[in-house]
Amino acid sequence: MILSKIFTSFTFRFLVSYVAWLSVSVFMVLALIYAFIAYGFFSDVHSSVKLELDELSQAYEKGGREAVDRFVAEHSGPERLIRFFYFVGDAQQRKIAGNLTEWPDAKEYRNGWLGFDFESLTSIADPVSNEFIARSMQLPSGEQLLVARHYADVLNSTKLVAGALTRSMVATIILGTIGGAITAGLSLRRIEHINTTLHRIMSGDFSERIDISGSTGDFRRLSENVNQMLDRIEVLMTGVRQVSDNIAHDLRTPLTRLRNKLSDLHDNCHDPGNREQVEALIEEADGLLGTFSALLRIAQVESGNRRSGFADVDLCTLVSDVIELYEPLAADKGQRFNTAMARVGKLVGDRNLLFQAVANLVDNAIKYTPEGGEVQVGLSVEPDCYRIYVADTGIGIPDVDRDKVFQRFFRVESSRSRHPGNGLGLSLVQAVVKLHDGSIALEDNRPGLKVVMRLPRQSSATSKV
Amino acid sequence: MRILLIEDDLSVAEYIVKGLRESGYQVEHAADGKSGLVKATTEEFDALIVDRMLPNVDGLTIIQTLRAANDATPALILSALGEVDDRVKGLKAGGDDYLVKPFAFAELLARIEVILRRHESSSAVTRLKVADLEMDLLAHKVTRGGETFNLQPREYKLLEYLMRHAGQVVTRTMLLENVWDYHFDPQTNVIDVHISRLRQKVDKGFDRQLLNTVRGAGYMLDDSQ
Repeated sequence: MILSKIFTSFTFRFLVSYVAWLSVSVFMVLALIYAFIAYGFFSDVHSSVKLELDELSQAYEKGGREAVDRFVAEHSGPERLIRFFYFVGDAQQRKIAGNLTEWPDAKEYRNGWLGFDFESLTSIADPVSNEFIARSMQLPSGEQLLVARHYADVLNSTKLVAGALTRSMVATIILGTIGGAITAGLSLRRIEHINTTLHRIMSGDFSERIDISGSTGDFRRLSENVNQMLDRIEVLMTGVRQVSDNIAHDLRTPLTRLRNKLSDLHDNCHDPGNREQVEALIEEADGLLGTFSALLRIAQVESGNRRSGFADVDLCTLVSDVIELYEPLAADKGQRFNTAMARVGKLVGDRNLLFQAVANLVDNAIKYTPEGGEVQVGLSVEPDCYRIYVADTGIGIPDVDRDKVFQRFFRVESSRSRHPGNGLGLSLVQAVVKLHDGSIALEDNRPGLKVVMRLPRQSSATSKV
Repeated sequence: MRILLIEDDLSVAEYIVKGLRESGYQVEHAADGKSGLVKATTEEFDALIVDRMLPNVDGLTIIQTLRAANDATPALILSALGEVDDRVKGLKAGGDDYLVKPFAFAELLARIEVILRRHESSSAVTRLKVADLEMDLLAHKVTRGGETFNLQPREYKLLEYLMRHAGQVVTRTMLLENVWDYHFDPQTNVIDVHISRLRQKVDKGFDRQLLNTVRGAGYMLDDSQ
């Protein structure tokens, strides 16, 4: 998985194209070097052959056949590094002197250069190869002279050079690719680190920041900027939350006064028609007060202060108590109420808040399930958490709204008019679950909704106090 | 009955004082912690209503000081929600009940009456009797007019609480706190369903309805003869 990430990462692809261009440039440079070296080798060979031919003709003109024999003996001894072969023949190319037995059957190249293969040389020396390059000349007196040199050593040298150059190119590509992969991996790890942190932050823990210790340069600056941005967002978010909480707080006192005065009015009112109206007003005021109280309660839970009240909670009893409290309500609506309880151990938490959370879920399930429907409440143990679920066969929540229902005041459009409520119930449930380091998920119950709450068995909350 | 109210928010204080006077109590008001503590220690009161957050001396300290001096005057603590809700702390400090602001006056009145009465009859009781309804606490038996009926454990607890506070208004939150032992805010009136079930068993077939609903406040088990 991490490998595929490396290969698809921007850095890696950038480096691959970089290595490709580098290889092309290196190839061109190496080809040039090879051309120069090969040209140098061959012009050396040519000039040495020319030189030998000149010396051979001088020796022949001066001393005839004997001088040639001496010359040949001197120039083709086994101690010589490069072995030359000489031939002096008459006009009909019959042998006069030299260490070649006959005029070779040569192929003519440009500028009087000859090339031939010679198989029978094995008796004279150990031939490295049978390819020869030769040059001939005809003396004014008609004799023909030929100097030949095998050039396999030159070919070998150029092959060696070509091999070295090819290998260095392969090495360039391999090292470049490996280096690219490592660099990409390193930068990917840093980016991945930033990404996971951002994911955690997006999933709710806004106090989290990207760890900048140990990073330097661009990444540090990037992380610092992201952190600063997060600080700013957090300030704005808490600002917004505080404003709503403050409004709730400040409006509650006058609302209470209003409610109290209405209740006074109600007590002193003797006209039945007016009384009814006042009762309706009191109900409105109570609804508003309820909303404000719920808002403040959520704010209080979210602030984390409630952790000071954490104690051992028997989840089994707690869930059973919720069921016992709500079962008559479901029965009144003609709903079947099923429970699936496993025996579970104790959890460290706030029993009142947990009760409130489960009660809110059950309350919702009953509220949104039509008569004759079914509500199911279950408690089970998973390897590292307790799982509480509340499922119903009601109207459910459309996919698009699943994330939004946890927002304060959000209500699914279809339920807005039909069911009473303030849109704070699930927000509170989520706040409670978060306080206990748990998670909450909405699933499709086909039909209906299934809310699954998971609470860690070993709540780390106590250690955080 | 004399009640001392220690509350710094004057509009809340005025409202409580007015309501309590109308209900036939004598009320003294202290606007800060210090004068409240002085009044509470120097004069005799039947009950105290103490706000938690007070200037000079805070509410919990007042109650702790009184309890340390062996003064067992029942005390009701008022607290604004949004402050750290340490109900437990309040009760541990020696408070008899805890009420979160804002509250309906009926709620406050019901609770005051309960703590006043609790103080009166703290002796162990083995039988409860309201009109012809009788509860034998030892045998866990409930009869009305000599007829025994079966109650679920929770119904039994509910009836017991109502009988112990017969003639007093009992609010829904009081029932949740005392019968179910959870302090929470139900979104729907689940309690009503339990009450109507209980009513089915207690009152059905009898001319006299004992379990009454008090509009805007709660319920009351009628003991008027």
